[in-house]
Amino acid sequence: MANFNITDPNSFLKEQMMETLRLVIDPELHVNIIDLGLVYGIEIDDHKKLVTVKMTLSSSYCPMGESIVSAVKNCLEGHYGGYVASVELVWEPVWCYDSISEEGKRLLGM
Amino acid sequence: MNSIKQNPGIFRIVVTHYVTAALCFLVLSVMMLFSLKAFTGHYFHPQILAITHMAALGWGTMIILGASYQLIPVVLETDLYSEKLAWISFGLFLPGLIALVYSFWTFVPGIHMQCGAVLLLVSFVLFTVNVYLTAKKKKQQTIQEDFIFSACLCLCFTAILGAALVFNFTIPIFGQGHLHFLKLHAHLGLVGWFLLMLIGVSSKLVPMFLVSSYQKTGLLTASYYLVVTALVLFLVDSYLFGLSFRTYLIFAAGAAGISCYLIFILKCLRSRLRKQIDLPMLNSFLSFIFLKVAVLTVPFIIYFHLKNNPATIRFSMIYGEFMLLGWVTALILGQTFKTLPFIVWVKHYEHLTGKFKTPMPADLFANNLLKAQTASFIIFCLTFMPGCYFMVVPLICTGVAALIITAGIYLCNVFIVLFHKTITYGKL
Repeated sequence: MANFNITDPNSFLKEQMMETLRLVIDPELHVNIIDLGLVYGIEIDDHKKLVTVKMTLSSSYCPMGESIVSAVKNCLEGHYGGYVASVELVWEPVWCYDSISEEGKRLLGM
Repeated sequence: MNSIKQNPGIFRIVVTHYVTAALCFLVLSVMMLFSLKAFTGHYFHPQILAITHMAALGWGTMIILGASYQLIPVVLETDLYSEKLAWISFGLFLPGLIALVYSFWTFVPGIHMQCGAVLLLVSFVLFTVNVYLTAKKKKQQTIQEDFIFSACLCLCFTAILGAALVFNFTIPIFGQGHLHFLKLHAHLGLVGWFLLMLIGVSSKLVPMFLVSSYQKTGLLTASYYLVVTALVLFLVDSYLFGLSFRTYLIFAAGAAGISCYLIFILKCLRSRLRKQIDLPMLNSFLSFIFLKVAVLTVPFIIYFHLKNNPATIRFSMIYGEFMLLGWVTALILGQTFKTLPFIVWVKHYEHLTGKFKTPMPADLFANNLLKAQTASFIIFCLTFMPGCYFMVVPLICTGVAALIITAGIYLCNVFIVLFHKTITYGKL
C-alpha cells in the first residue's frame, strides 16, 4: 500500500488520486480496486504531467485485466485534466488475501 | 502488460459457436420429444445415436470449442494461434454435424454419414493443431496445458474411431462386433475429451471466478495421471479381453482421479474470497454432483455386464444421460452466464469504464430467466433420469418437456446478452 510522505510535494495529490481510484470497480467482485489492495502506489511527474499507477491484478492473466487497466487510466485522466495516466502492472509482491482492506473484506462478506 | 486484449475476430468466433450450440440444444430437446419410447430400449438405436451425437457434438463440443477460443488463451496465457483455422474448423464442423445426425436419425449408413464423419474428423484435427500451436508459443508448462492437449488428442482419436465405425457399416473393418468398439469410442469421447477438457479449463476458471486462495496443483497432477492411466488401461484391456474383474480396478483408478479433481474444487470453494455464490456458479456445482452420480453407476454396469444381466443396458443409459445431459449440460448452463456476459461486457464497456457508471457483466443476462432455467433443468433431471431407469414414458415425457423449456429459456437469455445495448448511468 502507498504511504503518505510529508516531504513529497505531491503527497496530497497522490492521496486524492488514490481516493478517486475507489471509483474503479472490479467487474467480477464488485469491489473497488483500492479496497481490494490492487494499487501499490502512484508516481506523479509534474513537469511532464504524467501519472504512473503501479498496480497488480488478482491473477496474472485475469481476463478482465485490460478493462481494469483501461478504467484506471480513464478515471484519472477524466478527473485530473491535463494529466496523462499510465499503468505499470507488477507481480511482486504477489496479491493475496492480506492485501484486502477491512472495508473490502466487509464488502466481500468475509 | 500481461493480459489479454479482446479481439473482435475472436468475439465473432466465440459468439457464432455459442449461438449454434444454443440452437442445437433446442433441436436436441425437440428430437428427444419425438423419441420418447426409444429411451426405454437399447442405446444402439438410430434415434438414440442421433440424439447422443447431437448432445455430444452440437451441444457439448460446439460450446466447448467456442469457449476454448476465448478461454484457452486465458488458461495457456498466450494469444490464439490462428483465427482463420478456427473458422475453417467451424465451417467443417457444422455441415459434418448435420450430415451425421440426420443420417443416424434416418439410419442410412451411406455417403452422407461417411462424409459427415470425415468432415468432423478434419474439423477436430484443425482445432487440435490450433491449440497445439497456441500452446507452443508459451514456454512455461502447466498441468492445465496437459489436460487440454490430451483432451484434444482424445477428441481426434474419438473422431477417428467414430469415422471407422461409420465406414464399418458398409465396408467391414472390424472383426469384432460394432458394440465392442462403440464402448471404446464412447469412453474416448466422454472421459478422454469431455472429462479431461472440462477438468483442465475449470481448474483454472473456478478458482478465478471464486477468487480462491488455493494455488496448489498436486491434486490436479494426481487427477491427470490417474484419469489418463485409467483411460488407456480401459481401452487396451477392454479391446483385448472385454470387460472383466480387472475393469473394477481400472474404474477405481479413474474414480480416484475424479475424486482428486472434486477435492481440488472443494478446496477452492472453502478458500474462496467471495463468499456469495451466484446462480451460474451454483449450476456449475450442481454439475459436479451429476458427475459423481455418473461415476457411481459404473460399478453396476460392470457387475451386471459380467453377470450377463440386461440391467447393464439400463445402467449404461443412465450413465450416458448423467454424463451428457446431467454433468456436461449443467456445467454449460451455468458457465455460459459466467463467460458470455464477460465477453460481451468487454466489447461494450471496456472503453467506458472509469469514465461512466456502467452495468456489471452479471447485469447483462436476465437473472429471473436464469432462475427459471435452473428450476426447469432440475425438474428435467428429477423426472427424465428416473423415467429412463424405470422405463416410465410419462416421466420421460415430463422430463423432455422441462428440457425443451430449459433450452428455450437458455436461448432467450443468450440472445438477451448478445443483443445488449450499451447504457451508462452518468459520469463518475
